[in-house]
Amino acid sequence: MLKGPAFRRAALAASAVLAVAIVAIADAPASLTGSLKAGRLQLKSAGALAFGPDGVLFVGDSMGGSVAAIDTNDRTAPKAPVSIAVDGLDAKIAAMAGVPADQIVVNDMKVNPLSKNVYLSVSRGKGPDAQPLIVKVDAAGAVSNLSLDNVKFAQVSLVDAPDSNPSARQDPRTTTITDMNYVGGNLLVAGMSNEEWNSALRSIPVPFKSAAPGATLQIWHDSHGRYETQSPVRTFVPYMIGGQPYVLAAYTCTPLVRIPVGDLKAGAKVKGQTIADLGAGNQPLDMVPYKKDGKDYILVANTAFGLLKVQADHIETYPVIDSPTRNPGTAGMPFEKITSVTNVKQLAQVDSSSAVVLIAASGAGPAYAPGPPVGPMTLKTIALP
Amino acid sequence: MNRAAIAAAAILLAGVAAAAQSALQSKARALGIELRDGAFRVNGWAPPRAKPSGGWGTVFLVYAGAGKVPPLLGAYAVESGALVFHPRYPIAAGVHYHAVFRAPAGAMVTADFDGPPRPTNPIARVEQVYPTADALPSNLLRLYIVFSAPMSQGEAPARIHIEDEKGKILPDELLPGEELWDTSFRRLTMTFDPGRIKRGLTSNRTIGPPIQEGKRYKLVIDRSWPDARGVPMLQGFARSFVGGPPLRTPPDPQQWRVTAPAQGTKNALAIDFPVAMNYALLQRMIQVARAQALVQGAIALGNHEAEWRFTPAAPWAPGDYQLLIDTGLEDLAGNHIGALFDIDMFEKVTKTVERQSVTLPFRIR
Repeated sequence: MLKGPAFRRAALAASAVLAVAIVAIADAPASLTGSLKAGRLQLKSAGALAFGPDGVLFVGDSMGGSVAAIDTNDRTAPKAPVSIAVDGLDAKIAAMAGVPADQIVVNDMKVNPLSKNVYLSVSRGKGPDAQPLIVKVDAAGAVSNLSLDNVKFAQVSLVDAPDSNPSARQDPRTTTITDMNYVGGNLLVAGMSNEEWNSALRSIPVPFKSAAPGATLQIWHDSHGRYETQSPVRTFVPYMIGGQPYVLAAYTCTPLVRIPVGDLKAGAKVKGQTIADLGAGNQPLDMVPYKKDGKDYILVANTAFGLLKVQADHIETYPVIDSPTRNPGTAGMPFEKITSVTNVKQLAQVDSSSAVVLIAASGAGPAYAPGPPVGPMTLKTIALP
Repeated sequence: MNRAAIAAAAILLAGVAAAAQSALQSKARALGIELRDGAFRVNGWAPPRAKPSGGWGTVFLVYAGAGKVPPLLGAYAVESGALVFHPRYPIAAGVHYHAVFRAPAGAMVTADFDGPPRPTNPIARVEQVYPTADALPSNLLRLYIVFSAPMSQGEAPARIHIEDEKGKILPDELLPGEELWDTSFRRLTMTFDPGRIKRGLTSNRTIGPPIQEGKRYKLVIDRSWPDARGVPMLQGFARSFVGGPPLRTPPDPQQWRVTAPAQGTKNALAIDFPVAMNYALLQRMIQVARAQALVQGAIALGNHEAEWRFTPAAPWAPGDYQLLIDTGLEDLAGNHIGALFDIDMFEKVTKTVERQSVTLPFRIR
């Protein structure tokens, strides 16, 4: 939830360009956990997740308009390769939270790169009274709650003080945090507002400083009819291209865009380039880059297209898509559909050869717009295809 | 074990308890578990001063699900000489609770409780959908759907449909994915696929804009959409509209007609726009100021969001006033003051990223 002047600043830039509020690309601190303070962390919601160094988990709180960094204190590497298989995960979480299983919503899932334990952000309930939980699943499949009552954390607000309408009982403005990633000492946060039409990609220096909205940086996309300048980033990953760090971002309907991280400096003009188009009528959910048999791939989970394996070899050589594609719907990097795993609602990388998926059937609804996931939910490790 | 259903009378919600007499029982009260004020209490057992080495969970656990599930989250306390488990979350509708107490000496008691039944009475309906006009621009960007009660998230793509004039559902009209709710879960923002709106994009060229000029459509919202309690709505919603010409001119305050009321009255100040404007942004992007101070008052909309009215809290004093207009104010197509939605303004905004406001003067006589 981004509100007030800072958000409006972003909104202006985003009205024509994708905006990035960024202070500086800083190096990772010697000890991120050392910067966190013990106490009780109060979240209003738990959405997008990202892991930083030292097992620090970032949690996006869209309803609270903030991001939290939490010391999971979970830094022990597994003794053997991890293979998880948990059936009825929704029922197990529901039992911990004391609700019927149909009131459990899994919002995001990430794997702790140190311990390989799986972390999920969960809503207990589906309405305004929904309570946030962070759930951990270990290699043995044990499901537990990450207690926030006494935990080392830091929190940074994305909002400014509510303004304008003192008579309004409740400010209707919210910004949904669609994805987050820790990149080079900064937490990149993609969001989408429910009022002004814009999208914002913020960069928050880590460790968090109390008030550092920073300068606004603009990302310009020289392709796809200027589409991405207005459209929300749905999911993105850090990615090395030609030895240089990039962000690879996927948008709705479904272009893939590369953005050079080195350009993310205050006041800079950043150019994003569309290098693939996976097709319309679809929402990308998660991306996992990996290498197999000497070749680079990106596994993309989607709402309509399922799992797509995108060939990413020599990604630097793909021509930028700078005009509406002739081949209706798709263009750029070649990809294939993976049919061995279906109904993937969440996808997260474990290591160079495996990922975890959260699988659930879709609820009742028309074919083009299935309903929300219905249990039972299965969590399992898969080999990257 | 000497079993007796003693605890049943003590519990608040329907529950059946099987209790065992304990030799260690220090109080006259029989061993049992009750659910009182949202907490599970072990009666008839005097907890030791120090909790067991493995924690109170080694003697007392509550389960809220069948099969092999983790125990209910919560915290233990010793209150008035009894061990009490406070669930982290309130007792919930439709949940069955199974409490197990196992005294260190081996005596065991279990008890079962049910939360209140899940509600079944429908209360929610669609109060309004903005924009409200019958004719909507073919490059309409957003819909605001206002419900009378908080709703369940995750349902929007399956429950909202756009039909053509023959009643055929048109897929891919609205963006899938993330639902943009307000914090009360009563107002949902839906977006038409911007790729189909923007001129020159693949989607726009191959499948055309989501709304075509001159054609009739129907917005349908299914009654089956569960509210936040999981109960379907009282009734569904349907509204027909016709595609109008696209909006290709950014809003220009110089084109607005401002009607100032007379001094000494609390009559509304009115702005008439040439076209309807964004419902949500009209609530906060226009303010009234006099001598550097904001004038307090209430905002109302009319004429299908083409009219903005401001009723002051205090009677108008004579003099010069300003309307402060945030340049982020959008029309129905996402054009905002000074900028079109589908024109790249990049070069023009590199120097400044401050949201500007423009002012429109008026005088109260």
